[in-house]
Amino acid sequence: MAEAVTPQTEDDYQPRRYRVSHRTRYGYDRDVELCYERGMLRLRDTPTQRVVSTAVTISPEAGYRSDHVDHFGNHAAYIEVRTPHRTLDVALLTEVEVAWPQTDAASLDQWTVGSVGALVRALDPLQFVTYAGPSPLVGAVAEVAAFGAGVLHPDRPLGAALLDLVHAIHDGFAFTRGATNVGTSLLELLELRAGVCQDFTHLAIGALRAFGVPARYVSGYLETLPPPGRPKLVGSDATHAWVSVPLPDGRWIDIDPTNNQFADSRYIVSAWGRDFGDVSPLKGVLFTTSTSSTLDVAVDVTRL
Amino acid sequence: MSAAVPAPDGDLVDRYRARVGSGVDELVAASGVRPGHAQVAEALAAMGLGGLLAARAEARRLVHDDGIYYGGPGRGEPSPGGPLTKAPGGGALREDSHAWRLDPVPVVLDSAQWERLERGLEQRAILLDALLADAYGPRRFVREGLVPPEVILGHPGFLRAADGVRTIPGERQLVLVATDLARDAAGNWTVFADRTGNPSGSGYAMANRRITTRVMASLHRAHSLSRMRGFFHAMSDALRQISPTGADVPRVVLLSPGTASETAYEQGFLATLLGFPLVEAEDLTVRDASVWLRVGDRTDRVDVVLRRVDADWCDPLDLRPESQLGLPGLVEATRLGHLAVANPLGAGLLENAGLLPFLPGVARAVLGTDLELPVAQTWWCGDDASRSHVLASLDQLVIKPIARGARSATRYGWLLSNAERTALADRIAAEPWRWVGQEPLPMSTAPVVTARGLEPRRFVLRTFGVLAGDSYTFLPGGLGRVGADMDAHVVANRVGALAKDVWVLAPDEPELTSIEPAGTSRLRVVRAPRSRGTAPRVADNLFWAGRYLERAEGTTRLLRVTDDLVEDYGSRPGTPGFATMTALLGATAAVTGRAVPDAGGPGAGGTDLTGRLEWLRDLVTDRWSPGTLAFAADRFRAAAREVRDQLASDVWNALGRIERLLAELPPNEQLQPLLSDLQGAYLAVEGVLAESMMRDATFGFLDAGVRIERAHLTVRLLRSTVAVERSTVVDGQVAEAVLDVGESIITYRRRAAVGDGTDRPVASALALLLAEPVNPRSVLWQLRRLADDLVLIDDSELAARTRGLIGQIAGADVEAQASDHAALAATLSRLDTDLQELASSIAERHFHRKAPQRPLLHYWAPAWQKP
Repeated sequence: MAEAVTPQTEDDYQPRRYRVSHRTRYGYDRDVELCYERGMLRLRDTPTQRVVSTAVTISPEAGYRSDHVDHFGNHAAYIEVRTPHRTLDVALLTEVEVAWPQTDAASLDQWTVGSVGALVRALDPLQFVTYAGPSPLVGAVAEVAAFGAGVLHPDRPLGAALLDLVHAIHDGFAFTRGATNVGTSLLELLELRAGVCQDFTHLAIGALRAFGVPARYVSGYLETLPPPGRPKLVGSDATHAWVSVPLPDGRWIDIDPTNNQFADSRYIVSAWGRDFGDVSPLKGVLFTTSTSSTLDVAVDVTRL
Repeated sequence: MSAAVPAPDGDLVDRYRARVGSGVDELVAASGVRPGHAQVAEALAAMGLGGLLAARAEARRLVHDDGIYYGGPGRGEPSPGGPLTKAPGGGALREDSHAWRLDPVPVVLDSAQWERLERGLEQRAILLDALLADAYGPRRFVREGLVPPEVILGHPGFLRAADGVRTIPGERQLVLVATDLARDAAGNWTVFADRTGNPSGSGYAMANRRITTRVMASLHRAHSLSRMRGFFHAMSDALRQISPTGADVPRVVLLSPGTASETAYEQGFLATLLGFPLVEAEDLTVRDASVWLRVGDRTDRVDVVLRRVDADWCDPLDLRPESQLGLPGLVEATRLGHLAVANPLGAGLLENAGLLPFLPGVARAVLGTDLELPVAQTWWCGDDASRSHVLASLDQLVIKPIARGARSATRYGWLLSNAERTALADRIAAEPWRWVGQEPLPMSTAPVVTARGLEPRRFVLRTFGVLAGDSYTFLPGGLGRVGADMDAHVVANRVGALAKDVWVLAPDEPELTSIEPAGTSRLRVVRAPRSRGTAPRVADNLFWAGRYLERAEGTTRLLRVTDDLVEDYGSRPGTPGFATMTALLGATAAVTGRAVPDAGGPGAGGTDLTGRLEWLRDLVTDRWSPGTLAFAADRFRAAAREVRDQLASDVWNALGRIERLLAELPPNEQLQPLLSDLQGAYLAVEGVLAESMMRDATFGFLDAGVRIERAHLTVRLLRSTVAVERSTVVDGQVAEAVLDVGESIITYRRRAAVGDGTDRPVASALALLLAEPVNPRSVLWQLRRLADDLVLIDDSELAARTRGLIGQIAGADVEAQASDHAALAATLSRLDTDLQELASSIAERHFHRKAPQRPLLHYWAPAWQKP
């Protein structure tokens, strides 16, 4: 997610309604006898959005499905598909109302990088420990801390520091699809200097945590526009990820290192957690003799 | 050991006391023996060192016979299903590095002392349960500051996927608990660790008891002990009672990670003690977010899983995606109340040294009382003052990570070099909340039998508790362990600790009841739901256990006859005996698939007696080559271990004897005595199985393996001997040798003497070994038994196919076939193929494994993708 995001304007904070279509198709060269899926198939309600409707279609039909709200408050679905298949389609169609307030970076400067942790901890020690500590994909890595130290400083006002951090990532790293995958470590990312939104989000989280600032991983969608004069292509959008930081006044502030900006009403939240591992949109376990798989994902974010 | 005649030794204990010095000891006191231990001391003195050493040797033998081990399969031991790798050095002998190590002298605790300990343990279990319920529920203790959040939410054992899951009906969620204790300087039992993930050791404690009471029989007779049996009954009850499904008789299974697991022995033993099937992930499936046991072509609903798989590995969907040891959907099943798991997923969180400093506070807040059992003083480094203390006292403390892991072993400050200490201090400073410092416990000592007399070694005790109603009940005593040597401060199995039985004396009771302590003899009739049918993995292993057992036995018979011929005629080329020997060598090669060395090749007339004998010897002892006796013995043992809970325990005895025989063959010794002993041992195994097993599907699969294999060996033997054209004299001798292998020579001679049947040896061999309806060695007999077995496993289709084969053989004209070698060879080849196809059909129809399991990660991360 990067290229086709238009510069932020006043209008981007207007309330609006989106329809999000998120279709995933897995293909296999032999029958899958049994398949179990865990997915975030319903967006969560947040202070900045309200989910109006959700429809999920699974083909072949799920033999069993159950839903629960997980440790982080996300809607997690459990699915069993017992019909032998070579293609599995999971389609989420949802409508959501979104309205983000404009972020005044200066208002965040009442706190510093060094002070915010203790204040948040006093407010909610559980949240603090959950999001300030290392997590499976964002461990305490000296090189990440060093990267953070090039940008952050305990005395730096928080608003300015957050902007510095996302600038540094935006300017220092190329957005290159395929340069990384979920197995790419932050250490490798720092050498590659290229990645996608998931990588940049993990890097920002790692740098903040190294300075005692809690940060969580938000997965969702972002409305993009086609280049001027070209029609928007179906399925051209993608899932997106960004960072959210708790404030001592109880708010959370969302910032996007990939696009170098605070979140606005084009940002649609699916789920959040400590890192990608907590919010994987869809993961599964299969029983099959198939040894290869293909994958097609099509995401459309349509403003209504 | 038979040479050791126990000589009483009055000074034995005095010499021991001198070695103990001033520390607390389990047997002796500053002067004399510990109160209540006079009888123990007397018994030890009466046995003398000779008697004790004999008891130690006897204990080792019993461990070996019962196949009790701890740790992975022995170095170079074939891992079932896995590739066979040759050990460095490639010895043909089994290594005993993983044999369970047990010192014969028990540690004795009087009943008052135990009752005090038990009360403390009970309180501790209740407290840990409260912590568990809170950590995966309201997390009040964290919010209220009783426990730092890092210790709960920052602990790798806190399973977020299991958050909010509360499956077990009733107040308590913690089902099993184990506690590690040692004595402090004043002699008080003091806790230094809790084991709550999937606590192991209670089965080993029971095994210790069985052996110790046998090898220390006189000491045992002098004491009235609290029995252990009741604990395992309580455990069975508890596991049934935690069923959330409302099933009248809940189905409980013991989920094992497999025979490669360190405690695989114990898992099988426990399954038998508890009366629940031992299963692996392969045997289960998840449907409708419920767990089902695969039996034959049916599935039975499972209500409770006693897991020996680490929590992380229990569900590849919600936990570690690479795990093949768990089931996708298991977490969901518990979340929905379709299944209870003991211990609950996530209970390993309580094995958390970071909790120790905060337990007294939690006890006061939750129970309104202080902790009864002292705990080794522990400082959590997440607290500034505690960290300063730990860093300043690194050289005196035990430094533990709050979570155990590959990179985070416990360290003993006083054993570290300066550089190591600095490195550790840096790690603590970087992530202080991950570490605690703990005051080392002085520990008591207990006597260990050595060739140098009784030696004091540091002693630790692991106790075991299980949920019983609203509280917990405990195994009287527990698993005792002592250090590997006199200086060892670390007492753990992986560093060579020895186990000890721990005796809790029964409270004084009237003479009458002490003969049969209450509770041990009550008749228990719990009708567990019997799963008719057999899980495919179990069926597969039973079948192959049968095949390898019979392969070993059949090959032994063949080797006996061949070796005999080699010894008699090997240096007499040109004689009919030499030709017969050559024929049998060829048959041995054909049956075992091992080529005869060129020098003494079956066709060659060479006289390399030594070469032939060496070749035969390798056929016995070379465990790395298929076709040998040692190889078949290993494979039988591997398959039998997979289904340990299905087999009578006497099997392990007989197996132990076989292993000793194979291991003890001295170089240059004749093979005959060994082969004769081996044959007896194999017959013993077959006898145990035949006389102890119910005639159900389990027996069906095992016996089908035996029958297929014996039929197969016999057909191959006949094909490579009597179906080959030879001179009449040699023909007759070969046929007699074959009848000898087939255990039918006596019948042949008797029948020949009375003119019953044919007097042509070839025709007789064929008649007796192929088509004789009343000879238990004939192919026809095997097929009849096989047809019966197939009925037991409910496969009428294959039973009918087998009867078809029976009809063909029974209807064959043996006289005619015996005179036409080519036609006979063709018939036997066909039969060989038919048998192989039958075996394949059994495998296809009954051993159907689940398709390979693969994780499918999100598309950002298709780790498994080859476009």
